[in-house]
Amino acid sequence: MLEITNLSRQFNGRRVLQDICLRLHPGEYVAIVGESGVGKSTLLNLIAGLDRPDSGQLALDGAHYADLSEDALTHLRRDKLGFVFQAFHVLPHLTVRQNVALPLWLKGLSGAAADGPAQQLLEAVGLGNRAASWPRELSGGEMQRVAIARALAHGPRLVLADEPTGNLDPANAATVLALLAERIRGAGAIGILVTHSLEGAKTADRVLHLTAAGLHE
Amino acid sequence: MHRRTCLLALASLPVWRIAAAQSDPELDPAPPVVFDPVLPGRTLTFPADHGAHPGFRTEWWYATGWLALPDGSPLGFQTTFFRVRSGLGEQNPSTFAPRQLILAHAAIADPRLGRLRHDERAARVALGRAGFESGHTKVWVGDWRFEQVDDRYQAEVRGEGFGYSLSLVPDGPPLLNGAAGFSAKGPGPRDASYYYSRPQLKVNGTVTLDGRVQAVTGLAWLDHEWSSEYLPQGAKGWDWIGVNLNDGSALMAFRMRGTDGAPIWSAATLKPAGGVARALAPDAVAFEQLRHWRSPRTGIDYPVEWRVRIGERRFLLQPLMDDQELDSRRSTGAVYWEGAVRVTENGREVGRGYLEMTGYGEKIRVG
Amino acid sequence: MTLAPVFFGSLARRRVATLFSFAAIVLGVALGMAVQAVHEAALTEFGRGLRAMAGDADLQVEGPRGGFEEGLYALLAARPEVAAASPVVEVETQLVGSLDTLQLLGVDVFALARVTPALLPRPADTGSGSDSGATDGDGRFAILEEDRVFLSAAAQTALGVKPGEPLRLHAGSQSLKLRIAGDLPGAAENRRLAVMDIAAVQERFAKLGRLTRIDLRLTEGVEPTAARVALQAILPAGVLIEAPAAAENQAANLSRAYRVNLTMLAAIALVTGGFLVFSAQALSVVRRRTEFAFLRAIGLSRRSLFAWLLAEGALIGLAGGLVGVAVGHGLAWGMLTVLGGDLGAGYFSGLTPRLQFRPVATAMYVALGVLAGAAGAFLPAREAATVSPAQALKAGDEAALLGGHGHPRLGFAILAAGLAACWITPVNGLPIGGYLAVNCLLAGGVLLLPLLAAGVARLLPRGGPVPARLAAARLTAAPGHAVVAAAGVLVSVALAAAMAIMVASFRDSVDAWLGQILPAELYLRVGKISSAGFLDEAQQERIKAVPGVREIRFTREDSLRLAPGRAPVALMARPISGDGHELPLVGAARPTGGAPAIWISEAVADLYGWRAGQSVEVPLAGRQVALHVAGVWRDYARQTGSAMIDLTDYRRLTGDRLASHAGIFLAPGAVADQVADALKATAQPGALEVTNPAFIRGITLRIFDRTFAVTYLLEAVAVGIGLAGVAASFAALAAARRREFGMLRHLGLTRRQIGWMLAQEGALAAGVGVLGGLLLGGAIGLVLIEVVNRQSFHWSMDLHVPWGSLAWFAGGLIALAALAAVLAGRQAMRQDAVLAVREDW
Repeated sequence: MLEITNLSRQFNGRRVLQDICLRLHPGEYVAIVGESGVGKSTLLNLIAGLDRPDSGQLALDGAHYADLSEDALTHLRRDKLGFVFQAFHVLPHLTVRQNVALPLWLKGLSGAAADGPAQQLLEAVGLGNRAASWPRELSGGEMQRVAIARALAHGPRLVLADEPTGNLDPANAATVLALLAERIRGAGAIGILVTHSLEGAKTADRVLHLTAAGLHE
Repeated sequence: MHRRTCLLALASLPVWRIAAAQSDPELDPAPPVVFDPVLPGRTLTFPADHGAHPGFRTEWWYATGWLALPDGSPLGFQTTFFRVRSGLGEQNPSTFAPRQLILAHAAIADPRLGRLRHDERAARVALGRAGFESGHTKVWVGDWRFEQVDDRYQAEVRGEGFGYSLSLVPDGPPLLNGAAGFSAKGPGPRDASYYYSRPQLKVNGTVTLDGRVQAVTGLAWLDHEWSSEYLPQGAKGWDWIGVNLNDGSALMAFRMRGTDGAPIWSAATLKPAGGVARALAPDAVAFEQLRHWRSPRTGIDYPVEWRVRIGERRFLLQPLMDDQELDSRRSTGAVYWEGAVRVTENGREVGRGYLEMTGYGEKIRVG
Repeated sequence: MTLAPVFFGSLARRRVATLFSFAAIVLGVALGMAVQAVHEAALTEFGRGLRAMAGDADLQVEGPRGGFEEGLYALLAARPEVAAASPVVEVETQLVGSLDTLQLLGVDVFALARVTPALLPRPADTGSGSDSGATDGDGRFAILEEDRVFLSAAAQTALGVKPGEPLRLHAGSQSLKLRIAGDLPGAAENRRLAVMDIAAVQERFAKLGRLTRIDLRLTEGVEPTAARVALQAILPAGVLIEAPAAAENQAANLSRAYRVNLTMLAAIALVTGGFLVFSAQALSVVRRRTEFAFLRAIGLSRRSLFAWLLAEGALIGLAGGLVGVAVGHGLAWGMLTVLGGDLGAGYFSGLTPRLQFRPVATAMYVALGVLAGAAGAFLPAREAATVSPAQALKAGDEAALLGGHGHPRLGFAILAAGLAACWITPVNGLPIGGYLAVNCLLAGGVLLLPLLAAGVARLLPRGGPVPARLAAARLTAAPGHAVVAAAGVLVSVALAAAMAIMVASFRDSVDAWLGQILPAELYLRVGKISSAGFLDEAQQERIKAVPGVREIRFTREDSLRLAPGRAPVALMARPISGDGHELPLVGAARPTGGAPAIWISEAVADLYGWRAGQSVEVPLAGRQVALHVAGVWRDYARQTGSAMIDLTDYRRLTGDRLASHAGIFLAPGAVADQVADALKATAQPGALEVTNPAFIRGITLRIFDRTFAVTYLLEAVAVGIGLAGVAASFAALAAARRREFGMLRHLGLTRRQIGWMLAQEGALAAGVGVLGGLLLGGAIGLVLIEVVNRQSFHWSMDLHVPWGSLAWFAGGLIALAALAAVLAGRQAMRQDAVLAVREDW
């Protein structure tokens, strides 16, 4: 369970987030929409443990971020979080399968041991036949599907997707969003989709609006 | 003759101004070199005395004379070969030991050029590159030579811009100067040389000027003199003449000048044609300067016209050209005047000869 | 020029990388310039000295060091071609009680005036002012006097003496007391010369009947070439007619070979600089792809883009070249002041050259800098210009990694060409083929670097910690970055390793050689200089009679003139066994044949084509003697060649009974120091010098090490700059990879893990470079030993690879590269970098 209580963050005196509260249970998939600059990415960074709040609480499955060291937060990400980025961030010097296996490597699986699960994940996103390809040989949509497979490879408790369709054409965007929703639900994880597209947000279970006033449905 | 001793010293190495070395007790003292002395009463014998006398310190064969080119225009010439026993290297077994040196000066006086053409050679007697012989006249350095062939002398010179090959034929026996060839040079008994002349030498041969070879004829004078002694102290220079008179007689006269310009010693020999030579005492000889010429190169004033009194006779000397200065300061450093002169007596030309003047510039340094 | 800010501004943005490229080019240009300027100055000075000595001489007749028969002088002087001839006896002697040496010429002052007036002595006027008439021969013929010597101003300054003072010289085992009578106004300003009368030198230095040189002035209108042929025909064997310039050329050849090594070092730095430019440009070009695509899209032509990118490299090269020549001149000045014209190698002793500014040479070195910069920028520029703008606009940075496997076929072809170049014979005495081979090896090696990187990647373990797996995957999939970073390392390591192998082999061989060449327990010689020192027969007997001496081997040194235009070959006569086993032989001895044996050094074999087993004619004592070449030995002391014959044979053939030095074996129980003292006591104090081989060996190796110390230092600088290049390229790369690092942090890699990954990437890149560099360095080292040194110095050496040093060197370099990569990546791992994955802040 992800619990966010009275979260505030300011940069150089500019208040970006104020008293954000959110509670999400496993299997819940929400979309957060908002204007540019309203603090969507700041919120994601705080949830990812890459940034610390000025006040308020964050806890995932009962672990309070405030109690965790940076290394512990890194391990938290490694074990329980999955990410999908707007620019894919697929490593160009790893094959498609290696990219998907990367989170498994981090969990300690050897290269060979990780290959099986990675292949299954690729099958699941429809790229089973591209496992040995290099990222540069893929289209944008395919690349994002690899990223989705990677985000779910290690069975995360929480998947964060930050504008995953920002670099895609509408047709591909729809496919990817559908796939993302399907995979998150299938994994029983908490999913947070950050987007500015209301159309895309509708693929989530519910839509939350982030404004200067706070987070609300 | 002292004038020749001094000239020799100049001609050999005058540029090198040596400080007299203080004797160094650490240096091995070389055994003293004993030169043959000039003693009165020695009879000169010929042909033996035509040759070299290597036991004496210095010796020279000195030919001067007037030449005529085919077109009749006059030239003066000078050929001098010096032999020097240096007193050095007497114990050194090296071929190059500098015991005997040969030095030579040659010049052509050409009125059309207005100054002398001259050149010089010097070498040690080694490996046949330079040498001399005894018993007859033969002395050479490189391809320059002066030698007696049969009864004539042959002078061969190839210098820069000029050269000559001359045959000099004497008309009679040698003319012994002084007391039968013992020639006093000063008041002291040691100041003397053996000295004879060959006047009235008939010359024919070729002269090469700027690569052009021309036949010449003329009349010349040869001195052969050897001695071991040095200039008397206080001598600054000298004047000398050797004249072939038109009537076949011959005149040699010289005087030594002191630092104040006053004469220290003089002497003369006058030999009538076919007659017996007469030596004149110092008081019978007087030199009087008439006209001066200043050298544009050295700034030295030379008395180029003279009146010379020989006994009762008075001769007027006039140069073939004023500039007969021999300036070789850049090579050997000698600066003197050696030139052809016309000789008149009572307004009539009576002969031609050579005049030599030294010591009119800087004080002469010997060695 | 309107686009200048667009391109040159880029140089300013990546200051560190630009600075390192610049530094390497400065170093290369400065080093090359300095060596060139120093050498130029020394040669000019040497030539001036020679010309002044030769004066107007048209030709010079030279023989062996022992000279030739003096009758030749009369023979030549009498020839119609010869206007004037000047005989000379030249000895190199030493002051008593001092290490100063002096070149002493015995001359005939009368002959000098017409041939070499520059040598005319001028007696000093010490102001005695004595009356001319009163002095006698003492002063008149100063130069002819046996105890008078005239010193050039340089010699007076160097020896601290002035006219009027005494001077003591070694002559044979005697000392000779002379008086300095004056100077040599015409002698070259910097030439240490002394002049004496020829007869005195002949007598005092045991040269009676001998001349060492005759200077000739030809008759006007005579053609020197024709005269040379005509006159050579009448000369005895071993006496040659040379144009006076020949010695100058010989000196140039001699020191040119030495220059080879220093120029090599300059090349290392310059090539490294070129590769650093390459690294920096390659990365910069990758990063700016979108920028270029945009420029191309708005109408910049492909050609202009290429030219501008080339200009970026050329600009660094120009700056480096300009600063380099300035630094080079400063360096040259310093070296001339401290080390002298031969940089301490001893080829131009007695000279103090002055530095001159030579516009052409200077411009050439600036041009070399520009060339290095432009060459480094060439490939990246071409790469950037060939990319299609549409593709580049679409793709992100990461897609533009340099990949592929280079051009292995071309690389192998160039390597093969390099191998073939080793067989090219030297051109004009220069090992052109060797240098060509070195260049081919470097070029081929760089082209094969991607292949090597791939090979290394394949060998890497698949498992292991994640950072290692990521680093390995990166090397496998995208060797481009590693290759770019490694190229500079490869080149500098290859050249440095080659030098290290060459120097180690050389030192090892010299060490072993010294052991063989110095078998005796004590060595005795007259002064330091053998030309003026000799042991006459009486002295030899006195030495033999010293108690405690078991065996004594005398050596007589002379020289042979075997061909015109060539430096003389040293001749050593000493007792040699029939099979020559005591010599450092190369190959088998062939000690058969009825003729006396001659043992030649490798240089003689190379220069004159003599082979073991062959019969040769050697000029000894003025006539050709048939000798049998019994074997070839190694001589590190004389690169112009040397030959040995048995002392008994030599004495029988020449009648020369003098000795130059002696090796002494002690009787059992004899104490070396006591015997040494007894030996010294057989002659005047200070005349004989007795040393032991350990001392000679120590000195020799010390000189060797000192000579090469500068080499090590410069190598270290070059490698350091190469390493700095790795750091610079990783810094550039790290900046480009900020997003990748950010993503990895999201994925849960700790900072330390990313640090490790970078360290391993750095180590891998450097490792590939070092590995390639060592392989290449071994090959180049072999080329240096077998081709360049052999052809330059004419001596072989045994290969000695300094494994230990190389291992330390390689390990250290890799560790440093890893550290450099971590440091470079540090900036990119800061927290804000993690956030770089977000594009919509």
